[in-house]
Amino acid sequence: MGGHSSWPEWIYIGVVVALLVWVGAEAWNVERLVEHIPAEAKTIIVTGQQWFWTFEHEDGTKEIGELHVKKGIPYKFEIGSKDVIHSFNIPDYLVLMDAVPGRINVVWFLPVEEGEYPIQCREYCGLLHYNMRGTLYVEDGA
Amino acid sequence: MLSILVILPSVQYVFAAEEPGEYLDRRVEIWNLFFRMMTVAFVVGAVVSGTLIWLIWRFRESHPKAKPTSYEEKGVW
Repeated sequence: MGGHSSWPEWIYIGVVVALLVWVGAEAWNVERLVEHIPAEAKTIIVTGQQWFWTFEHEDGTKEIGELHVKKGIPYKFEIGSKDVIHSFNIPDYLVLMDAVPGRINVVWFLPVEEGEYPIQCREYCGLLHYNMRGTLYVEDGA
Repeated sequence: MLSILVILPSVQYVFAAEEPGEYLDRRVEIWNLFFRMMTVAFVVGAVVSGTLIWLIWRFRESHPKAKPTSYEEKGVW
C-alpha cells in the first residue's frame, strides 16, 4: 500500500466532517429559534386522556375536543396526560408534542390565519386512538 | 468551501443569537430547514453515487486502460 498519496481521503474526510458540522449547526439553531417561547405567550393547559383532549385557558375556562384561539397571539401549550402516552398534534401548524403521564411538555405556536384546523393524537393510545381528534378554531383577535 | 460551509453560518448564528425572533413562524423555519437538509442530502447522494458509478466503470477489467495490480502481475500476495 506504500507510495500512494492519501490527500484525496483527507479531503473526503474534511468535506464529510464539514457537512456534518453544518447540518448539526443548522438543526441546532432552528431548534433553538423555534423553542424560544415569547414572554407574552398565553398559557393553555392541554390534557390528553383516552380518548379526548381537554384545554384549560388562563382564565380557567375549559374546552373539550375543541380549542378557540385568537389570531396573532402566541400561545404556549403545557401538555400532560392522565393515563397513557398521547401526542398532541396540530398538523397545519407543525405542532407536535408527546403527552406523557407525570410530566409537562411545552410547545408554543402563533396562529396566523383564521379558520378551522384539525387536532389529533399522534401516538397510538388504545382502541379509539383513531378518533381522538379535536378542532382548533382560529378567530379574529380584533 | 470551508468558509461557506462552516465559518459563514457560524458567524450568522452569533448575530442571530441576539434576536431570536419572538414571533417567528415555526412552519417557515421547520420547512426551510427541511428543504435545506434535502438539498444537502440530494447533492451528497449525487456525488457519492456518481463517484461509485465512475469508479466501477473506470476500473472494470474490460476497460481499455485497465492494468493488473502489482500483486496480480507478480502472482504473489
